[in-house]
Amino acid sequence: MQVLIYGAGNLILSDEGFGVHFVRHLEKHYQIPENVELYDGGTLGIMVHFKFEEADKVILVDVVQAKGEPGDIFRYEREDIMLKNIPVKMSPHQIGLQEMLLISEMRDAPKPDLTFFGIVAKSLDPGDQLTPPLEAGLEKVAALVVEELAKVGVELKRKDA
Amino acid sequence: MSRITLDPITRIEGHLRIDVEANGGKVTNAWSSAQMWRGIEVILKGRAPEDAWSFVQRFCGVCTTVHAISSIRAVEHALDVEVPLNAQYIRNIMIAQHSVQDHIVHFYHLSALDWVDIVSALKADPKKTAQIAQSISDWPGNSEKEFKAVQDKLKAFVAGGKLGIFATGYWGHPAMKLSPEVNLMAVAHYLKALDYQRKASQATAILGGKNPHIQNLVVGGVATAINTENIATLNMERLIYLRTLMEETRDFVQKVYYPDLLAIAGAYKDWFKYGAGVTNYMAVPEFPEDTKNTKFQLPGGVVMGGNIGGIRMVKDHRDDYLIKNIKENVTHAWYEGNGTLHPWDGETKPDYTDFKENGKYSWCKAPTLDGKPVQVGPPAQIMAAYAAGNPKVKKLVDGAVSTLGISMKDIHSTMGRLFCRGARAHVMADLSLENLDKLIANIASGDQTYANHTVIPKGEYRGVGFHEAPRGTLSHWIVIKNKKIENYQAVVPSTWNAAPRNDKGEMGPYEASLMGNPIADASKPLEVLRTIHSFDPCIACAVHTVDPEGAEITKVKVL
Repeated sequence: MQVLIYGAGNLILSDEGFGVHFVRHLEKHYQIPENVELYDGGTLGIMVHFKFEEADKVILVDVVQAKGEPGDIFRYEREDIMLKNIPVKMSPHQIGLQEMLLISEMRDAPKPDLTFFGIVAKSLDPGDQLTPPLEAGLEKVAALVVEELAKVGVELKRKDA
Repeated sequence: MSRITLDPITRIEGHLRIDVEANGGKVTNAWSSAQMWRGIEVILKGRAPEDAWSFVQRFCGVCTTVHAISSIRAVEHALDVEVPLNAQYIRNIMIAQHSVQDHIVHFYHLSALDWVDIVSALKADPKKTAQIAQSISDWPGNSEKEFKAVQDKLKAFVAGGKLGIFATGYWGHPAMKLSPEVNLMAVAHYLKALDYQRKASQATAILGGKNPHIQNLVVGGVATAINTENIATLNMERLIYLRTLMEETRDFVQKVYYPDLLAIAGAYKDWFKYGAGVTNYMAVPEFPEDTKNTKFQLPGGVVMGGNIGGIRMVKDHRDDYLIKNIKENVTHAWYEGNGTLHPWDGETKPDYTDFKENGKYSWCKAPTLDGKPVQVGPPAQIMAAYAAGNPKVKKLVDGAVSTLGISMKDIHSTMGRLFCRGARAHVMADLSLENLDKLIANIASGDQTYANHTVIPKGEYRGVGFHEAPRGTLSHWIVIKNKKIENYQAVVPSTWNAAPRNDKGEMGPYEASLMGNPIADASKPLEVLRTIHSFDPCIACAVHTVDPEGAEITKVKVL
């Protein structure tokens, strides 16, 4: 089982960079097994289709513009994305996640199991730090990811545990 | 008269709004508005100059490498640092491979759907498609079986209602003109192209340590340790793997992308008449082949008023005319005042006023060269290389001019821009391999140096890092004072092209390129997208928020 943990976002627009801060957080505090890849995808769109095609399980972490308080966490599955229950775009103006997954299907690429954790941002102003509610979200999302991976038999242990 | 607002323009990086006024089926006025503020200059103030290249890679989601290169060159220029040959070649290969990757993605994934009607491909005869494809290329992937498989897949998706995901595609638009067979060929190659852009990314990652966001730059060279005997460094095995990846990508560019481009251009020859815009151009030389950045593999040049014959060549990155005359004006940009400043004195003081078509209406400043708006991008570099008699560029351009029955001045157009990008990709694929040969030969000669270790000295220094990026001339301007960044400005290709009007009221290249453009259906302004996409727009400010509630992705407002 090859697992991809994909952190998306722009590191210099404060909370926008949550996904990237998140993979760094995991790297720092958790023991990462060999079959788990942490990927700082920045804001690449369709150019990273192959990362999704190569994995058996993908966990995508990004900020989400959903109704809620900063730091609220939402969870979506592949079906939510593909069935257009939510019209997810990686950003409103480029080739989106749906399109990317659809193109992979057209290419007959294997379909990874996909879970997406989205967190509501507080600030998208220039800056390289997360705001407090998002900073607190790092460990919350980490706990969700640990739980998610445990379901498929992958153990993610804290370094200090 | 109708007023059309496209907000945002899709299939680009960043958030761009275009407004046009149309009269009698033609565009009579246009405004280009960058809708996001890029505050990087503010973040960089006071930081260590040797770290700037790492920060600036986060400007953009796509062109991470190019900002790193410009930034490191700015510091090296400021401190007059020489860069060892191995480092130049390694940087050159990364630059060239990034270009190849970027151009493939632009042609197939960001602009093809302006010209290719996916649904029409359902009606194609796969056997005829294979005949057409094989008549223009000997690429082995063009079999009837391959085309049939793609068509079957498409049929299944259409039957399942899944194509709606490509919501911004204008299927069945009257401006779509390719035969079903050529449409099927293009769709099949659209899917295949992903494998090759990936190989180019892998090549960049092998040298850069990571992609996106390379990790191997240092002021004075690269951190890519070279030792042909050591498995942990850049050794012969890695170099041979690089060659394999780059050869496969080259074949795709030269045997698939380029022939497809000529086939599409041939069917849309009228688009060599629209979209010229600003016909002042600028390109800087690229691919240094000495340690002092004085000799380059491709030349640069400045063309004013469309006069290709009167081109002023740019010899190296110390060109005084460019360094003195590149300025930025903020009369129509959301920054304080209406002044024109040189980038070393540049300010980033936001002053948002909402969209005022006669006042301030964009986050983009208006860069000028010698007081004039200038278009940057592949046409500028192709013109410079053609004028300098580069044999490969001459052969490609002369070949296309004769095959398509166009003239050199048709390069000033929407299709001319797409053609030049394809020709540039062709050249970049070969240059990648040439630089790899040079790197291997230099290592074989016993030179394993890859960096001149540099300490930032005390005092005040100014530098500019020029780079001819996939979208055109990029320059990063740095002022270093007492080992810290005192000022930093990036004048990026999309700022040149997406510029609002300048202090004299002259339109920026996107705006000017839309004037006179036909509009068949104001509610589906495909023709606006064709021209704007031909620039490969990339508003240098990447935001990546997923919006699960925003059902309406693009708004086309027609008044």
